[in-house]
Amino acid sequence: MTKEEVQGAAEEDQQVQSKKGLKKQQKEAEKAAKKAEKQAKLAAEQQGSEEDDFSKDRYGVSAMVQSQQKLDRTLTRVQDLTTERADQLIWLRARVHTSRAKGKQCFLVLRQQQFNVQALVAVGDRASKQMVKFAANVTKESIVDVEAVVRKVEQKIESCTQQDVELHIERIFVISQAEPRLPLQLDDAVRAEGEGEEEGRATVNQDTRLDNRVIDLRTTTSQAVFRLQSGVCQLFRDTLTNKGFVEIQTPKIISAASEGGANVFTVSYFKTSAYLAQSPQLYKQMCICADFDKVFCVGPVFRAEDSNTHRHLTEFVGLDIEMAFNYHYHEVIDSITDTMVQIFKGLQDNFQTEIQTVNKQFPSEPFKFLEPTLRLEYKEGVAMLREAGVEMGDEEDLSTPNEKLLGRLVKEKYDTDFYVLDKYPLAVRPFYTMPDPNDPKYSNSYDMFMRGEEILSGAQRVHDAQLLTERAIHHQIDLEKIKAYIDSFRYGAPPHGGGGIGLERVCMLYLGLHNVRQTSMFPRDPKRLTP
Amino acid sequence: MPMYQVKPICGGDIQIDLPTCMYKLPNIHAQQGNSCCSEHALQNGEVDPAVKALEARQDEIMRKLYELKAAVEGLSKTVTTPDADLDLTVSSSLCTQSISAATFQGTTDLDALLGKDQGALRDIVINANPAQPPLTLLVLHSLLSQRYRVLSSVHVHSSVASVSPQLLSCLGPRHADSYARHLFQLGFTLIWKDVPKLQMKFSIRNMCPIEGEANVARFLFKLLAPYPNDPALATLVDQWVDVAFFQLAEGSAKEHAAVLRALNSALGRNPWVVGPEFSLADIACYCCMLSSGSAPSAPANVQRWVKSCENLGHFSPAKGLVQ
Repeated sequence: MTKEEVQGAAEEDQQVQSKKGLKKQQKEAEKAAKKAEKQAKLAAEQQGSEEDDFSKDRYGVSAMVQSQQKLDRTLTRVQDLTTERADQLIWLRARVHTSRAKGKQCFLVLRQQQFNVQALVAVGDRASKQMVKFAANVTKESIVDVEAVVRKVEQKIESCTQQDVELHIERIFVISQAEPRLPLQLDDAVRAEGEGEEEGRATVNQDTRLDNRVIDLRTTTSQAVFRLQSGVCQLFRDTLTNKGFVEIQTPKIISAASEGGANVFTVSYFKTSAYLAQSPQLYKQMCICADFDKVFCVGPVFRAEDSNTHRHLTEFVGLDIEMAFNYHYHEVIDSITDTMVQIFKGLQDNFQTEIQTVNKQFPSEPFKFLEPTLRLEYKEGVAMLREAGVEMGDEEDLSTPNEKLLGRLVKEKYDTDFYVLDKYPLAVRPFYTMPDPNDPKYSNSYDMFMRGEEILSGAQRVHDAQLLTERAIHHQIDLEKIKAYIDSFRYGAPPHGGGGIGLERVCMLYLGLHNVRQTSMFPRDPKRLTP
Repeated sequence: MPMYQVKPICGGDIQIDLPTCMYKLPNIHAQQGNSCCSEHALQNGEVDPAVKALEARQDEIMRKLYELKAAVEGLSKTVTTPDADLDLTVSSSLCTQSISAATFQGTTDLDALLGKDQGALRDIVINANPAQPPLTLLVLHSLLSQRYRVLSSVHVHSSVASVSPQLLSCLGPRHADSYARHLFQLGFTLIWKDVPKLQMKFSIRNMCPIEGEANVARFLFKLLAPYPNDPALATLVDQWVDVAFFQLAEGSAKEHAAVLRALNSALGRNPWVVGPEFSLADIACYCCMLSSGSAPSAPANVQRWVKSCENLGHFSPAKGLVQ
């Protein structure tokens, strides 16, 4: 190419360039213009909104409550929000369960323990758009203080516990903000397993729940379960106190393993080591020998069993009873079964709301029992099992499947979920169990079952030091280790017996749940030490 | 006159030193003519006629005794049933032993009826509604307790809020040995429960539950005595039981009146509803009449029969409950 041609080409290029460049420039100019417009609009809006925010002081994030001032304000409970309170202006503090904005309105569900209520912020003369926007952006689980008017609704709000009213919010302040990303959603945690699978929605599995126990315990189901558990403990104490029992506290750091050395936790104790008590057995009996006649104790029990089952924990709450009797250990059985029946009746009468709440997520048959409690002999149980086709020896212990089968057979015949099996074979009981006077193969011991699972193991105890020594030798137990125990019977001991139940297991079986970790707040098992 | 006497030098008889053999035989020669009975030993199983005579007399006496006993029993029945002026307590204490044994002829075997004893108590479970207490079953229970060792217990199911103390003690006081279940032959467990119809359960594997008071009554009665062999009589018993339960207990006033008339004519011919013997029909009719409250307005024969039932003494648990 010649110089001129190159020049010409360059010129052409330049021209082309300038055309392209022009186009580009034009486009950029358009973009800039648009941007400027938008910004101007936003600025105008903002200015406008800032101008229009007449409800600025009606919402916001409060300063952290460091007890700056003592307000004399009464906060209403959500469970008290009924049509009786219609048109009243009330303050309440609750958690934001859900919030969703819909145009000029924002619907919130405010939750307090087992109860929740619908609340509404609407653009109007009290609430500005900014306030509605703020309400819609409050993170879930945040704690808010709300001033609102209670209004009746024509149509029942099915999704809330308070179905007849809703709140029209005038003021809303955030007291404690929750982080936006929650480890688990409460709605998922309350969803029943079957329902989750059917509708393709999520449910939360147990490990996640237990890792984030604080949030999991906020669900209505958990609240109901633990309130019921508290009720069990309360009824246990009240019933026994009315029968003349004395509550005692026994030591949990002990020097010798009480029931055999295999399943104890060892702790270092200054220069030596000690053990964590597997049961308050020894001390209950010593109290009887100390003339307290009837005692009970509520306290932790530590079992180092490496069992990863649905019903074993390494630490649980034991409710233990021990009493002296006059002539026959059935007096003890009658006392214990009467206590259990009173507990069941108390739960049936006073905790129906809680039972229904749990049933929504974990449906089960209501718990049935007889009064006076059904008592079958071990031989009868074996006969029933043999009739059903199970082969077992007369002196054989019941395996877990056999126990469950027997529970089903008893339920079929007598329609009771709670019964006592009396006169167990001596060979399968601990050394301190009193042998049967008429048949040396059997013993004065008993087990109690709920829904086919064992909840209590008890017996008449050997109260004679000599017989106790013989039995210990027979079981090849080192006498030196239990010297203090045997000594307590040398100075006059009344005939006595008793038994112990696990609080978590009783709750689990009463409600028909399937895993004891659901009834233990912060469960301990071989694989879990926190939270 | 003897001058002097000499003492005898040797004794009177001469002592023969008999050889000491193993055993001695009686002297064949010396015995002749001493015994007036047979000269030779008894042979071929012949019985001594004197013994025979003795036995014959004994048989005669026993036969007379049995006849006497039957006559006395017959008399006692007539004395303690219709038109007796005896005091109720006296007659009941007299007749519980004899009547209950005599009332149910024929033996029954618990093992044959209920299956072999597996070494544990055979427990009959009855679920009843406290609003309709089963009077026939209470009567049958007291009859069973006289015949066998029965462990009775009453329970209240959790479906029922509370039950009157009368219903709790309707099976009588607790047996002293009730702590040892294996000492009893039969268990009778009554559970007051919110059930629409009375229900009995015995063996879960082999028996389905039996429903209805009439049917349970039939089952329990067969533990006491078998039904009459004569099929016509057995059917008659069943018919009266059904009439009692369907018409007397649940029917209208018109039905009551009709049944009472039928009862009246039946009782005109026999001392008991089905014939000369006391049977399940009598228990059923009496209890249903008691629970429906139509006893006071019954015709003459029926009233007489009611009195004779009460004289038997088995019906006191039922009466006690209705009052």
